[in-house]
Amino acid sequence: MIPVVEAVVEAAGVAVGRGGRPVLAGVHLAVARGEQLALVGGNGSGKTTLLRVLAGLDRPLTGRVQWAGGPLPHGVDRVRRVGVAFQAELASRFTIRDLVTLGLALDRPPAAAERRLVDDALALAALGALADRPCTALSGGEAQRAVLARALVARPGLVLLDEPTNHLDPAGRAMVQALLDRLRGTVAVVIATHELGLAASCDRVALLADGRIAALGAPAAVLTPDQLAAALGVRVRRLDDPDGGPPAFRIIGASRARDEHSTPDEHSTPGEHSAPDDLRAPAEHSEVAA
Amino acid sequence: MGTPGMGTPGSPSTRSPGTHAPGTPGTRLPGTRSPDTIVLACALACAAVAMLAICVGSTGWRSPWAWSAMIAELRAPRVVLGGLVGAGLAVAGVAMQAVLHNELADPYVLGVSGGASVGAVGSLALWPGMPPGPAAAIGAAGAALLVRGLARGPYDPTRVLLAGVALGSVLASATGAILVLAPASQLLRSATSWLFGGLGTPRWSALIAPALAVTGATAWLSAQATRIDRITLGADVAAALGVNVAGLRRRLLVVAVVLTAIAVAAAGMVGFVGLIAPHAARRLVGAPHRHLIALAALLGALLVMAADAVARTAFAPRELPVGLVTASIGGPVFLWQLQRGPR
Repeated sequence: MIPVVEAVVEAAGVAVGRGGRPVLAGVHLAVARGEQLALVGGNGSGKTTLLRVLAGLDRPLTGRVQWAGGPLPHGVDRVRRVGVAFQAELASRFTIRDLVTLGLALDRPPAAAERRLVDDALALAALGALADRPCTALSGGEAQRAVLARALVARPGLVLLDEPTNHLDPAGRAMVQALLDRLRGTVAVVIATHELGLAASCDRVALLADGRIAALGAPAAVLTPDQLAAALGVRVRRLDDPDGGPPAFRIIGASRARDEHSTPDEHSTPGEHSAPDDLRAPAEHSEVAA
Repeated sequence: MGTPGMGTPGSPSTRSPGTHAPGTPGTRLPGTRSPDTIVLACALACAAVAMLAICVGSTGWRSPWAWSAMIAELRAPRVVLGGLVGAGLAVAGVAMQAVLHNELADPYVLGVSGGASVGAVGSLALWPGMPPGPAAAIGAAGAALLVRGLARGPYDPTRVLLAGVALGSVLASATGAILVLAPASQLLRSATSWLFGGLGTPRWSALIAPALAVTGATAWLSAQATRIDRITLGADVAAALGVNVAGLRRRLLVVAVVLTAIAVAAAGMVGFVGLIAPHAARRLVGAPHRHLIALAALLGALLVMAADAVARTAFAPRELPVGLVTASIGGPVFLWQLQRGPR
């Protein structure tokens, strides 16, 4: 268990509802300074909601969230505490440099020291050469790196990333992974992801199912075939790296376990609910497969 | 967000040359000017157009240096009012586009035009001797309030826009009904000239309120520039970047509606300015609002002053409604810009 004094963010007994429906319930989670934590779970399991709660964007119905032992400050100080990169951000006409500068949350033009912070963040995300391009003219990987640079520019102690490798090609994924490796030990990172390989490279993994944390601990203890079958509804084969790196995961197929746990909204029509496994399997497969 | 497959990340060498040399932050494309230069050039152009607009009129060319009563009492206040109306509508357009996350939004979009028309035409039908401005302003502001009320609940720009479009069409048919059913034959002519905009012959004292409102709103919005930048990234991003999203959105809406109501009260419906001026300004200085707000105000002023000069002289001694001219100049310019492709 992580000592409370070390936590950059701590959620205690957090419950969130949306439209009269519980989305998160009884979530206890503390993230230590410099720790990398992956949130893994199926669509609708509450990953993004938990990330929003940790970002201070959604207020929990019950329970309490504290950032470094207190509430989240307003204005400029907020981005020095928590950086957020959302999954599908609006395309903007700003140049990359302008976008990253907005990450400093300044109410005036940046001073020399702040421009240096922007240059550092651009260099960290390998965007220095593209800095004056408009964001509308970027590839998916470049756009994602621009958003990451914006989240990191104010040097926050905690960064929250929603699906940072979604829709990226292998080179883009490698780039995001390299960026995470550079942050390791200095910046606490919480990543919501469907990529089990990315989750396995983190210090800890929280497995979410139906708005609850089903398992929390070291990747080797959490990303086991049994727990993944129960939480994600997939049969997984784990392929360990002989060189000691993070393991790879091969999705073999859908398991029946998911149907027993499924929430009503995921099967809004009776027809879908009674759909045979072989019809649903491809969708499940594409969601989870890397 | 970007176009996947355009190029692999990390291969900047495949980029077309000419944007800038790597490692020289802040260098610009060859041939582009700094935003400050562009704003200054626009201010000078605006002053030149104002001067020209004072010189020309239905009675011919008058030198501004011979400060006659006609220039002092008729042309000059009208030109200044044109500038204020244009600047106000342009700034209102910038604010509305930021709030609604839509670059096609204009100041009239939230049922404001419909409300203003019902107010003005109703006033002309009931009290023919009275100027329709105040009733139009009340109608405009009332319609905007009603739209925001109808789209209650969690803020969704699409819902607000749709509510505005729906209420606008109801109010437009109400305007039509008043025009058809009201007995006074004078009504149609005065209503038409109002519905397409006209600056009339304002007294200097009538310019005080618009001048204060437009300069105040432009200054306030410019002070909020980076917050408005952040709000255009979406509500969640803006909140994560330390913006009080609901509060800023409310203030932007109020400023936009008040500016529009003042413009409508002073000059009727002057179309297209609130759409084209922000758009042209964005092409010149990009998306950041730091220079965009001032530049849009200058371009809006420039457009309305020039359009009014044309409206006064093209068919002299008869006058065209200025809104017809802004639309007929603005439309082709807008299309020409579209043809030139994205910036």
